[in-house]
Amino acid sequence: MKVKFLVVCMASFFAVSLPADEKSSHTLFDIKNKTFIEDNCQRCHNAKKKKGKFRVDNLSYKIDSNKTAGIWQKILNSLNAGEMPPEGKKQPEANAKADFLDALASTMVEARKKLSDQNGVITMRRLNRREYKNTLRELLGVEINVNELPADTESGFDTVGANLFMSSNQFEQYLALGEEALEEAFTWELEAGVNHKKRFEAEYLTKKYKKYVEKTLDKQKRSRAWIAKFDEAAGLPENKELYAALKKKHTWKNKVRDKWQELPGAPNPKDFGFKEVHQINSGENPYYLAYHQHYLTLPKAEEGAYISVPTVHPFMLPTGFVEFNTPSKWPPGNYLARVRIGAKQDAPFNRKVIEFGIDAPHGKVMSTHRITGTHEEPQIIEMPFTLTRKHKDRENRQIFIREKASDYHISHKRKFFNEEKKKNGLGPEFVVWIDWVEIERLPNDKRVTPPALKALGISLTDDKGLMRADLLKAFTKFTELAFRNKEVSEEYIEKIYKIYESRRKGGENHRDSLRYSLSIILSSPMFLYISEPLKDQQHKTLSGEEFAMRLSYFIWGAPADAELMSIAKSGKIYDHKVLAKQTERLLGDPRGEDFIHSFTYQWLGLDRLDFFQVDIKKYRTFDDSVKLAAKQEVYESVKHVLSNNLSMKNLLKADYVLANNVLADFYGIEGVKGDHFRKVKLLKNSPRGGLMGMTAVHLMGGNGIETSPVERGAWVLRKLFNTPPPPAPANVPMLSRLSDKVLTTRERQKAHQEDPQCRSCHRKIDPIGFGMENFDAVGLWREEDSYYPHDKKGREIKDKGKTWKIDPAGQLHRGQSFKNFFELRDIVASNTENFTKGFCEALVEYAMGRPTGVSDELLIESMLKDSKGYKMREIILSLVKSKQFRTK
Amino acid sequence: MNTTRRQFLRSSSALIALPVFSSFEHKAFAAAKKSKNQLPPKRLMFLSFGWGVTEESWYPDINTPGADYKLPDGLSPLKRHKKDFSVIQGLYNKHSHDGHSGSTFWLTGANRYSQAGVSFTNSVSADQVAAQQFGRHTRFTSMPLNGSHPKISGDGHGEGLSLAWDNSGKPVAGYNSPFAAYHKLFSKGDVSIDQLKTMLNQKRSILDTIQGNAKYLQKKLGKNDSLKLDEYLASIRDIETRLVKEEQWFDIPKPKATLKEPPKEADGKQDIKLMYDIMIAALQTDSTRVITYRQPVRTLLKSIGVNVNQHDMSHYHQTRAEKLDASERRDKAQSALLSGLLDKLKSTKEADGSSLYDHTSLVYGSNIRTGHSLDNCPTIVAGGGAKIKMGENLVVRKDTPLCNLWLTLLKESGVKVDKHGDSTGVLDEIKA
Repeated sequence: MKVKFLVVCMASFFAVSLPADEKSSHTLFDIKNKTFIEDNCQRCHNAKKKKGKFRVDNLSYKIDSNKTAGIWQKILNSLNAGEMPPEGKKQPEANAKADFLDALASTMVEARKKLSDQNGVITMRRLNRREYKNTLRELLGVEINVNELPADTESGFDTVGANLFMSSNQFEQYLALGEEALEEAFTWELEAGVNHKKRFEAEYLTKKYKKYVEKTLDKQKRSRAWIAKFDEAAGLPENKELYAALKKKHTWKNKVRDKWQELPGAPNPKDFGFKEVHQINSGENPYYLAYHQHYLTLPKAEEGAYISVPTVHPFMLPTGFVEFNTPSKWPPGNYLARVRIGAKQDAPFNRKVIEFGIDAPHGKVMSTHRITGTHEEPQIIEMPFTLTRKHKDRENRQIFIREKASDYHISHKRKFFNEEKKKNGLGPEFVVWIDWVEIERLPNDKRVTPPALKALGISLTDDKGLMRADLLKAFTKFTELAFRNKEVSEEYIEKIYKIYESRRKGGENHRDSLRYSLSIILSSPMFLYISEPLKDQQHKTLSGEEFAMRLSYFIWGAPADAELMSIAKSGKIYDHKVLAKQTERLLGDPRGEDFIHSFTYQWLGLDRLDFFQVDIKKYRTFDDSVKLAAKQEVYESVKHVLSNNLSMKNLLKADYVLANNVLADFYGIEGVKGDHFRKVKLLKNSPRGGLMGMTAVHLMGGNGIETSPVERGAWVLRKLFNTPPPPAPANVPMLSRLSDKVLTTRERQKAHQEDPQCRSCHRKIDPIGFGMENFDAVGLWREEDSYYPHDKKGREIKDKGKTWKIDPAGQLHRGQSFKNFFELRDIVASNTENFTKGFCEALVEYAMGRPTGVSDELLIESMLKDSKGYKMREIILSLVKSKQFRTK
Repeated sequence: MNTTRRQFLRSSSALIALPVFSSFEHKAFAAAKKSKNQLPPKRLMFLSFGWGVTEESWYPDINTPGADYKLPDGLSPLKRHKKDFSVIQGLYNKHSHDGHSGSTFWLTGANRYSQAGVSFTNSVSADQVAAQQFGRHTRFTSMPLNGSHPKISGDGHGEGLSLAWDNSGKPVAGYNSPFAAYHKLFSKGDVSIDQLKTMLNQKRSILDTIQGNAKYLQKKLGKNDSLKLDEYLASIRDIETRLVKEEQWFDIPKPKATLKEPPKEADGKQDIKLMYDIMIAALQTDSTRVITYRQPVRTLLKSIGVNVNQHDMSHYHQTRAEKLDASERRDKAQSALLSGLLDKLKSTKEADGSSLYDHTSLVYGSNIRTGHSLDNCPTIVAGGGAKIKMGENLVVRKDTPLCNLWLTLLKESGVKVDKHGDSTGVLDEIKA
């Protein structure tokens, strides 16, 4: 009874607060800008002349329709393109033009936003790709690869319903993916108890070394014999002239040998077992021979294997990794690989790390491990992995272990090899020794049958004794769960049954017919769409179940679990205390990672991290694990603030950093051991702590080779100050005047300040970017920078460049000045309120699945008010408690 | 035609008109196709690349319009075809303001802000307008090909799944590889007609079940959501339309493959070349008459040994050097590929001895000129399908709608249409 009363109350409250305020749906372009229009445009574009059929004397400064916006857009475009006023006519004063453009561009951003405001209307949406995958996992207990589905959106959040389309191809993909997920789930269920274990000795690699060295030596012997004969023939007095002529024609020695047929008395390669002369050339002094021979002299090479850097092609001798094949008959499931391993005690720190994965030539690294054991006292490292039905082919079942070949080792392996060879005459030390590897398919005795199969409640393999009624009941239960407790029509179930029946009658077995029929349920609209039915109203309060689903899709990107559902059904979910407790439970659950990852990724625009390839020749300590750790740092930092209910300010400035060993090494922070992320206290003068000190942010603000002060400045304005600059305008004349000059970054960007159409935005963006120039393209601290013009191949022209000391000092446009990065960071941190506001706006959009609009101002204000000093968790709680969140 | 299915079709709220014609009409057509007296049909091809071109070396001098122009460096690989294509200068989409979406509105000319209350709308693309008419005669209504990876950004095309957008402005998915397109065109599968019929019937019962579920849900939805669900219903009807088509084409076997099965993966340049071969094969076998292709750029650069990031390349203006070099090499590589395509269009013969080229209109271009510049969109037109002047540097009035070109091509190819996107009329000055 109490619950009902509450609902009525809220519904009536809404009538006043939700509908968009008439006044707020338009944007005013400050009337003081009229002078600029009158001074510069009106002479031609007036009522009389109407030049180009365009008038500005009757412009509306109240932008309340897309039509008016279009007119102003046209003015903005032609000023940006430098088309107006036309050449030869009096041009506006540069500062006035910059100010006008600045004002108009920002007004347009606001106007577009207001005009596309959905006024709180939430469009029903289908599950996005992420949610679809998560939902299948919750129902069936399996993870499937859904990458073939089209990406959901290129801009905005992936939860915004209006942007989530559906195409016919997609529909067919859902059918196929549904079947795939079901078959995977059936297999896991039926094979749950299976246990297999096998140990593989690593010295198979030593045997390969032996064979390869033998072959190389034999080849060398034959090569040298042939060459001796050839030289003998070349030295004959009667061949003297001929040989000299050949040598003149082919200055490269090996090329002369190619012409052996022209030299009387020269030996035929075939007699020495060669098809071609180039085999002899390469066989004469094999580059890696001494290194490979050295391997065989290593202690314990007979009882295990050493892995090192790649030398020759892995097809001939895979020196860089060991690999082991999971027997093809072992079923999908959870696996464990154990390795007995040790590293040379006094070897450099960065070579005592291994990577583990599947499919050495193409596969991704699944985990990275630091070795603490030694050759004398090896340790055992356990590396879990999962095989699915898709892992059918040999290469997909082959696990590998290799040294953490920071990419430099691989991409510049010859260079690295030579550097090491210079030191010891041989090449890179053999550091990592492996005794054996054991692969185990883990039985899952404690496995809980996944909810959807449990709901189904019938045998997956045998329909003996199953009556029509049993199947109808099974389908109904399965459907209810899949449709998230929405009512299911009998007619629908009947149709599913008929399809099952016709497959059975057509001779298909029970298991396959069942899978086929169930896949249709997983492609039906009531599964694919998160629906919140309305009956003739504009808005309504969500039912308990709908409310629970909105909450769980917000935080887990997945359906509510049994606990949340029962609270929803009882109506207790409307109780703020219960709701807060459940929200915290969801956030703390492992599934809560979905929020951290997917929200943070989209909020901060981390997709840019994958746009560029870092130049690892220039940044030697950077590699894929650093990149992974740098991305993780962002997530961990958000998670830290969230789970400790800290102020958002900590994301702007903090006296700690979240780091694991890889990242700490990269940052030069000492004393961090182990693969997990933890809070590390920073020294007082550290530039780390807060987003502006993170490698991920600096990487995004550059192209992997050079920094981009513009990208960085724009990002800070967008995400930290929450004052996004307008999108880069089209058709602005390009600056190429300075292209061949040797200039500092600042000098080059000065060109941005010359033209008013550039200056209007860049005067805000550039100073911030320059303030961050002490971070190089991978976010390491530097005091100096340099510029070398490039040749066409992108190589630096060394004798032409220059180096300068970085000057980070600057002043925000019409704002505070700063001497260095630290002062800039303080200014940013003093703007926590704006930063938090931006966070709130993003959060509302993400959680509600619609763009944030003017109508949300009150909501956001109250979220800020409830935040008890910008605490992230309080903000989330405030949102889920808000009336809007429980309203359709 | 099966009555129950007709009823079933009729019962769906008709957003898309189904191409309904009797199998008699259809067979009459198939027979006509074999007749030598029949003129070869008109075809349309739209090819687009992201990231624009090098403006200094791709465009002919705007001051030398007409046939007597110097072929610029970026187009030099097209030298042997100089008389058989034209460059059109001065076209643009007036509603495009975003410097990074090279293809989203290229064929539609739509204003993304045209509808209040949403931040993105699009409208039907020119190819789909043609497909509604030409598509009745072929196994495939149209063939949208998409070489730009949907997940990895980096091809500068912007939103969409291909160049094609349907009648309600929703993205149309494309075939993502030459391999996939090849099998669609030629793979027969090893099912008998009876099996195929059973399969189609099963598919129909799936669609029926699912549509029932949609209707059931729709009854309870508010107006907005109900519109959203229409997308789902439309996608089901698309499939239904395809099934109707499959049924009609039952007794006409798929054509014999005119080329080898392409590899599953190929490097950028090879990938584009293979896709071009697929286009020729599709036209040659009259499997479709309307083709679009969203070309990859990222992988193309990689395959020609350019290591500059594609976005950086498009902003070559500031530091030039390797970025400019990359941009120029991209232009040449693209022109060389196009040149190869034109070779094949010319050398592939129709039944009456004329060439494919004679009946095809090919457009090659982008919504982006260079950097963030969206005016004077790079545009090349080739082929005799629409009687456009060939061999000329055609300079039209600055800021003429691109849609005027689409309208011209559509009309001249025989499509009944009076307006497209923001078109203001046809381009009489480019007609031969």
